[in-house]
Amino acid sequence: MGQKIKEHVQKLLTEGKIKGFLGLREENSDIMPHLFCDPKKLDHLSLGDWKKAGDARYPLNQLMIRLTMEHPEETLAVLVRGCDERGLKELFKWKQLNEEKIVLIGMGCPDELAKACECEKPFPDSLIDGPKGEKADNQKVARVEAMDLDTRLQFWKAEFDRCIKCFGCRNVCPMCFCNECSLEEDQLVGTGEIPPANPTFHLARAIHMVGRCIDCGLCEEACPADIPLRTLYKKMTEIISKEFGYKTGFSVDEKSPFNMIEVK
Amino acid sequence: MTFLKKLLEFSGIHPERLRTRWVSSAEAVEFVHEVSEFVEEIKKLGPNPLKAKKKEAA
Repeated sequence: MGQKIKEHVQKLLTEGKIKGFLGLREENSDIMPHLFCDPKKLDHLSLGDWKKAGDARYPLNQLMIRLTMEHPEETLAVLVRGCDERGLKELFKWKQLNEEKIVLIGMGCPDELAKACECEKPFPDSLIDGPKGEKADNQKVARVEAMDLDTRLQFWKAEFDRCIKCFGCRNVCPMCFCNECSLEEDQLVGTGEIPPANPTFHLARAIHMVGRCIDCGLCEEACPADIPLRTLYKKMTEIISKEFGYKTGFSVDEKSPFNMIEVK
Repeated sequence: MTFLKKLLEFSGIHPERLRTRWVSSAEAVEFVHEVSEFVEEIKKLGPNPLKAKKKEAA
């Protein structure tokens, strides 16, 4: 799978269609984000599989925002999985990235990863290589819904109590781009408390994820306390889909109900 | 508000603990009625389970 993508990127770079490709590089058993600009130097191009599919993933969209801020005139390409593409579609609508300057290099996720993520759509529309996986069953949310109200409270209370307010979830999130984060607001979540206001901190984050969360799972991967954040945010995505008929990251022009204000 | 109610329910907090009602400043009687009714409802639901938690922590 890496070969097809490598050849495609090589072609784009050689033809001058893109200035650089933001992907992953493997070197000395480390996988890290890398901006490839030379078509002759693509040997260490990696798709982020180390011991198993998708175990070296990064919020490339977030890095793209920084890159395009520094190089607004250049056209750049970026490696995208199904979730990354959902993220980009939203970021375009939120005016954080310019779709005319970004080329998507899509890869489909293998079945094993799609099932672990319970992914709605484990492949991007702009697919260069990889399988067109099937939608996986959503069991994480169902498990919580099967509990009665009191059990649910005990469950979440125990999970949130382990939080050390490292902000890993927010920092790694490719969809978090606010200059001033509500979670740092003392009036909402008292500063200097560990665990942070339970459940205010996590419920506040969940509300902010409505219409934004693309279900990439980086938050849960980043969490040092193994809090099942995805389950919470998946529920929010389910609510906005059921109540407002809005599917985050599926449309290029339909905006989320929270993105109605036009900023000129 | 839809989200908040459903999120609270998902997190184990009774959704009826959250109520929203728009009242104009000229509708003083309605406001009093709404609040009194809400207070009765809340009393029936009992103390907020989150409150008990805080006492434990202290």
